[in-house]
Amino acid sequence: MARLTPHDGEPMKKRIRLTVWAAAFVFTGAAGCAPDVRCPTDWCGTVVVITGAEPSTLLPPFTQFDVEIGISDLLFLKLADLGTDLNTIDPETFEPRLAASWAFEDSLTLRLDLDPAARWHDGTPVTASDVVFTFDMYRDSSIAARARSRISRIASVSARDGRSVEIRFDRAYPESFFDAVYHVRVLPKHLLDTIPRSALATHSIARRPMGNGPFRLTRWNTGELMDFAADSSFFLGRPGPRRIVWRFAGDPSAAATQVLAGEADFLNALRRDDISRVEADERVQVIPYPSVAYAYIVFNLRDPREPSQPHPIFRDRTVRRALAMAVNRSGIVRAVRGDWGNVPPGPVTRALSIWDEDLGAWPFDTTQARTLLDSAGWRDTDGNGIRDRGGQPLRFELVLPNSSNDRQRSAVIVQEQLRRVGVEMVITPLDPGTWIERSTSGQFDANFGARNQDPSPGTILEAWSSAGIGADNWAQYVNPTVDSLFRAALETYDPDAAVAAWRDAIRRINQDTPAIWMYSPVQAAAVHRRILNPSIRPDEWWATLWTWRVSPNALLARDVIN
Amino acid sequence: MARSVALRVLQAVVIVFLVATFTFVLLHLAPGDPFAARAEASAFADTGLLEQHRRNWGLDQPLHLQYLRYLGRLARGDLGISFSERRPAWDAIRERIPNTLLLAGAALIVDFLLGIAIGVIQGIRPKSRTDDALSLVSLTLYSIPVFWLGIMLVLLFAVQLDWLPAGGATDAVAYPSLPVLGKMWDRLVHLALPAFTLGIVGAASTARYERAAMLETIGQDFIRAARAKGLDERLVVLRHALRNALLPVITLLGLSLPILLSGAVLVETVFTWPGLGRLAVESIFERDYYVVSGAAMLSAALVVMGNLAADVLYAVVDPRTRAQ
Repeated sequence: MARLTPHDGEPMKKRIRLTVWAAAFVFTGAAGCAPDVRCPTDWCGTVVVITGAEPSTLLPPFTQFDVEIGISDLLFLKLADLGTDLNTIDPETFEPRLAASWAFEDSLTLRLDLDPAARWHDGTPVTASDVVFTFDMYRDSSIAARARSRISRIASVSARDGRSVEIRFDRAYPESFFDAVYHVRVLPKHLLDTIPRSALATHSIARRPMGNGPFRLTRWNTGELMDFAADSSFFLGRPGPRRIVWRFAGDPSAAATQVLAGEADFLNALRRDDISRVEADERVQVIPYPSVAYAYIVFNLRDPREPSQPHPIFRDRTVRRALAMAVNRSGIVRAVRGDWGNVPPGPVTRALSIWDEDLGAWPFDTTQARTLLDSAGWRDTDGNGIRDRGGQPLRFELVLPNSSNDRQRSAVIVQEQLRRVGVEMVITPLDPGTWIERSTSGQFDANFGARNQDPSPGTILEAWSSAGIGADNWAQYVNPTVDSLFRAALETYDPDAAVAAWRDAIRRINQDTPAIWMYSPVQAAAVHRRILNPSIRPDEWWATLWTWRVSPNALLARDVIN
Repeated sequence: MARSVALRVLQAVVIVFLVATFTFVLLHLAPGDPFAARAEASAFADTGLLEQHRRNWGLDQPLHLQYLRYLGRLARGDLGISFSERRPAWDAIRERIPNTLLLAGAALIVDFLLGIAIGVIQGIRPKSRTDDALSLVSLTLYSIPVFWLGIMLVLLFAVQLDWLPAGGATDAVAYPSLPVLGKMWDRLVHLALPAFTLGIVGAASTARYERAAMLETIGQDFIRAARAKGLDERLVVLRHALRNALLPVITLLGLSLPILLSGAVLVETVFTWPGLGRLAVESIFERDYYVVSGAAMLSAALVVMGNLAADVLYAVVDPRTRAQ
C-alpha cells in the first residue's frame, strides 16, 4: 500500500506553535484580558441581564410584553410607582417618580406636582404639557396602546402650570390614583409632537428614544444586546450600576447557560428544567418570587359551531363541576412544576391581597365526579370506556399553544385523569398565533390559557365579567351577581369590604365552574452572588433593577469598562 | 460561458420571485397573524386592540390587494416593514447577513479542510485501521444532532473549562472599547465554537465524498504513471490525486450552502449568534411576513448563486466541462 513518506516537519511545527502563542499573547494583551479590576472611581459596575425575547420598540405606548416594558422602564418613568406592599388603593403608599407630590382636591380631581429636578436626557425639563401630551397619546385609539382601557375612567388631563397637572375622573373609585399613575410612562412632547401619529410606531425614534429615566440607551445590536449607560445626574439619585447590558438569547436554556458561564448576571425566569443545574452552581443564587400569572382550562359556554346556542356539553354546570373534581391539580403542579408552582383557588395569584386558599374551588374527588356525571345522564352505555348520552360521546377538544411546555405536559395528565372517569379529551396544540385567533373568536370547546394580572384585582373583571365578552372573557361567562360584586369591590373605599366582595365573587365563579384553575407559577430568577440587594417585585421584576449594585469585592473586568 | 451565466442569473430572478410569492401566500393563508402571535407572548389579547393593529398595518385588506401592494413595493426594492422590529424588513435582514456569512464561511472552511484531510487519509489507506477508525468517527459525527453537539461543546469549553465564550458574536461589554486587534481576536474566539460545531458535522459528510473520489482517482492510469516516473508519494497524492479528487467536492461546495444556512438556525440558537437563521425562525413564530419573505428570497438567491459559483468553478478547473 502506498504511504506518505514522513518528512522532517519538526522545526516547522515549532515555528507554527510559537507564532500561535505569540499571536495569542499579543491579541490577549491588546484585548485587555487582564485588566486591573479595582474600581478607579467611586462608581463601577455593569449588570448583564439576559432574556429570551427582544423588544420591537421602546416607546411605551407601543410596548406589549414584559421585556419591552421592562427595558422601556429603564428609559421612561411613571408619575408614581407602587410601594413594596403593592397597595393599589392608598396614594400615600406610592413612591414618587416624576411627580414629587400629589393630592385629591375632591373625589374626582387629582393634582400632581412634578419634581422640578426631573429632566429629559437632553436636559429639557419634564413639564406638565409632556404629561398632557402623553395621556392624549395613550387615549388615541389609532395608537392602540395596551394601557388605553386601564385609563378609560379618566375624563380629562390638563396642565395648571408648567409643573402642575390636573387629572379629572368621570367617577370616584378607590383605585383612581393607581390608574392615573401606574399604566402610563411620560413621553417627551418636544420630540414627538411633530411626528405624525400614524408614522410613530415605525419611526426611528421608537427604537432610539430619549427618556427621563435612570438610564440612556447607547447601543442596540439587534439580535444580540442593548447597552445602557446610567445617568449620573438622575434626579432620584445615582443608579446602582453604572451600566446595564441587556442580552437576548432567543432560547431560555441557552440564556441559563450564559449565566452559568459567567457571561450574564441575571435571568428573570428560569425554565423548570434548568433550575436544578443553576442551583448546583454556588456562584449563582436562585431567587423565587410569586408570579402574577395563572394558568387555567376554560370551558366555552357557547357552542363554537353555533355561538347563539349553549355548548352541548359545558352548558351543564354539573358536568363542569365533575370535570373539575376529576382533575388532581396539586398532583399536576407537583409533576409539572415541582415546588415552583401553586394551585390557585380561583382566578387569582399569590401576588394579590385577595388570595385565600379557601375560595370554594372543587376538591379532587373522582368518586364524586363519577356520581355527578351519572346524575347528569352521562353513562358508558356501550362499554367502550367513554361515557355517552343520547348517542353522543362525552368527548371534547382542548386547544393550547405549543409554545408552553408546562401547559402541554399538564394537558397530557389531565387527559389521562379525565379518561379514568370516562371522559375523552382530545388535545390540539396550536402555534401561538393560531391559538389566539381561535381563542378570541370562540372556536374551541376547552382552552388551556394563561393570564397575567396587574397588582390590582381589577384585572379579574376582564376575563370573568360580562363586560369582557367579545374580548378576554373567553368562556363567555355571565353571572349578574358576580358582576355586581365586582362593581361593589371596585367602588368601595373600605379595603376589608373590597376584599370580601372580591372573594365572594370568586366563590360564586367557583360554584359556576367556568374553568379549572390549574397553576400559578412561582418564578425562579437566577442572580449572580456578586449582585447586591437584588430585590424582585412580582408585578414588574425589573422595577428595582436600577438600584442594584455590584459588590466592590467581586468586580470583574466588565465592571470597570465605561 | 457568459451567456450561460446570464441565463442562470435570469433563472435566479424567476426563482426568487416564485419564492417570494409562495412564502407570501403560505404565510398569509396560515391562521393567525403577527398581532395575535404577539398577544400570546404578552398573555393579553384584547380583540379591539388586535383589530386596531390590523387596520394600522393594512392586514384588514383583502389578500390579493395586500399581495399587489407587496409586489409593487418589491419592484421598488422595498421588502416592507417588519412587524416585530417596526422598521424596514431589509434593515433587519441586512444587519444579520455579515454574521451569518461569517459563521457559514468559517464553518465551510472547517468543513472542507477537515473533511478533505480525513477523506484523503482514508482514500490513500483504504480498509486500514486508520480508515476504519476515521469512518467510525465521521459517521458518528454525521449522526450527532448539531444542537446537541453545540450544547455539549458549550458545557465543556465555556462552562467547565472557561476557555471560550458561551455565546454571542462579540463580548457584550468590552467589544466597543477594544482596539482593532482586540476586536479581531474577540470575533475569533466567539466564532470558534459555533463554526467548529457547524463545520465538523459537514466535515463528516465531505470526508465520505472525498474518500470515494480519492479511491477512484488513486487507481487511475495517470497516478500509476506518476508513480512509475519515480515521483515522491507526497507529490503523487497532493499534486496529482488530490487535484482530481477535488472535482466532486466542488459540486458539494454549491450544495453545502443551503445545508449550512439551515444548520445555522440551530447553531445560532444554541450559541445566541445574531444571524439570519435565528431571525428567520423567530420571524416565522412571530408571523413577521415581510422578514420571512425577505429571508427566504435571500436564501434562495444565495443557494442559486452558490450553485452557479460551483458550476463556474467546475468549468474553470475542469476544461472538459467548459464546452458543455
